[in-house]
Amino acid sequence: MKQLLEHIAKGLVDEPDQVEVKQVESERLIVLELKVAPDDMGKVIGKQGRIAKAIRTVMNAAAIKENKRVVVEIVQ
Amino acid sequence: MSKFEATGRTLDEAIETALVSLGIRRDNADIEVLNEPNQGLLGIIGNKDARVIVKMKLEPAQYLQSYLQELLQYMNVEGSVVVGEDDEKLEAEVSGSDVGSLIGRRGKTLSDLQYLLNVIMRRQFAGLNKMIFLDVENYRSRREKTLTQLAKNVARKVIQEGREQALEPMSPQERRIIHLALHDLPDITTYSDGEEPYRKVVIAPS
Repeated sequence: MKQLLEHIAKGLVDEPDQVEVKQVESERLIVLELKVAPDDMGKVIGKQGRIAKAIRTVMNAAAIKENKRVVVEIVQ
Repeated sequence: MSKFEATGRTLDEAIETALVSLGIRRDNADIEVLNEPNQGLLGIIGNKDARVIVKMKLEPAQYLQSYLQELLQYMNVEGSVVVGEDDEKLEAEVSGSDVGSLIGRRGKTLSDLQYLLNVIMRRQFAGLNKMIFLDVENYRSRREKTLTQLAKNVARKVIQEGREQALEPMSPQERRIIHLALHDLPDITTYSDGEEPYRKVVIAPS
């Protein structure tokens, strides 16, 4: 899951080297914290959060396969 | 293969110029240095600019193919990706036995992933003016047939009963399919009503 989010984020940002994902996992829930360069924040969120929403849809599709729920937090 | 030759006072400057001209990122570039810059004597005599040739490693279609293939791998989906290209679009087709999770409920995952791929490809190739289309196991063409059939059935009923009828909420692409399917019927008009994401097509007698 971590690698998937990294792969997507790296495609979106100007500075792929600064993409960092932290994963915290419990039995049913995966929390992923996505951190990008400050100037890239808007690039992973998009107008009215449209890009962030699409990222979450794709992450959810992957999580369902593992019988889990996933939460993606974009952090500063 | 796309490449660009550029000069600059420093290597970085020359490389940057070439990258901007090609509209690509450094990680998709092969950089060949033709001339190291040379600060001549006292910075006056014999100054030489840096000169480089920058080549695109992966053209858009190849990039999309490998990007999507890698994405499937991280999603634990076994499938293969074929990308077709013409003057207006890049079409990625995913096939495999286990690709249902890429479609999602009523194609939601598929359309969000297609949107993401459009954004990503535009970020990776600044000059790209082609739409990216994604399909999984021919879901879109199958869905188009289903929707067209549905539209015709409902239209028949509307004509018989003389009363308008709303369909279930659909995405803009799906609504477009309905409008087009009934476009030629003289006794019927179609319009959309409501706010996204609950906007629906209404079929009415004209």
